[in-house]
Amino acid sequence: MTTTQCIACGMPMNKPEDHAVGDVSKDYCVHCARPDGTMVSREEARVGLTAFMVRTQGIDESAAMGAVDEMMAKLPAWKET
Amino acid sequence: MVTASGGRSERKQQTRRLLIDTAIDLMAERGITDTRTIDVAERAGVAHGTVFVHFPTREDLIDAVVGEHADRIAGRLHELAGGGVTVRDVLAAHLRGLAEHEAFHARLVMEGPLLPPYARATLLGIQSAISGHLAQAAEQGMAAGVVRRMPVHLLFNTWLGLVHHYLVNRALFAPGGSVVERWGPTLLDHYMGLIGPAKEEGET
Repeated sequence: MTTTQCIACGMPMNKPEDHAVGDVSKDYCVHCARPDGTMVSREEARVGLTAFMVRTQGIDESAAMGAVDEMMAKLPAWKET
Repeated sequence: MVTASGGRSERKQQTRRLLIDTAIDLMAERGITDTRTIDVAERAGVAHGTVFVHFPTREDLIDAVVGEHADRIAGRLHELAGGGVTVRDVLAAHLRGLAEHEAFHARLVMEGPLLPPYARATLLGIQSAISGHLAQAAEQGMAAGVVRRMPVHLLFNTWLGLVHHYLVNRALFAPGGSVVERWGPTLLDHYMGLIGPAKEEGET
């Protein structure tokens, strides 16, 4: 299986279980899906990615949010064309 | 049938790939901020203007290069299978990814604070790939009593601080060679000893 990247957070997806609800036709990952399988909103993604960075890297919340905003600006789901 | 425009598009992609690969090599040798676009063009054997066709600014080139590097490192970590992955598995995969791209990653760590915002954020993104897998494995290890209980960010930063110290000072720890190959197994064993369950005094 080829590796694709989640359009909402950039995570590589190389296994079916990496995709939302295990469906390889979904271009967003399991972490960017709500319980009903739909993709999270921009703000939900922003808050979730920031909290993840704070919890696992110990980075200051505002610094983490700044980095998340930089990354999200280039991700297909959130990029402003 | 390959159309003329299809062939052009493919050539354009090949040139873009050549420029990124060349820039990664040069930046690993000379430093990210010290590598000029003209150096990349000369090494790649293309006109200087060709670089700007693909990357309008030097910052765009740096962003693309750091992004490509991030994909390579993160790809190694995501090869790990789901449930039964241990802390040692995650850290060994991290070391494998670093060993393959050691010279560039050392530059990225050293020059990180000087780089454009997106490149800095991408370095944090690479670290998120490691910290996410590590947190998951560590929490399972804590529940099973094989990893000492502590906040996962401290667990992560203790590992990263150790590895980055050796990486940044690779000329001292492994002159002319790979510091990850020479020191990686020792650092991994040492770290696993540090995070293992606390032993009673006198216990071996």
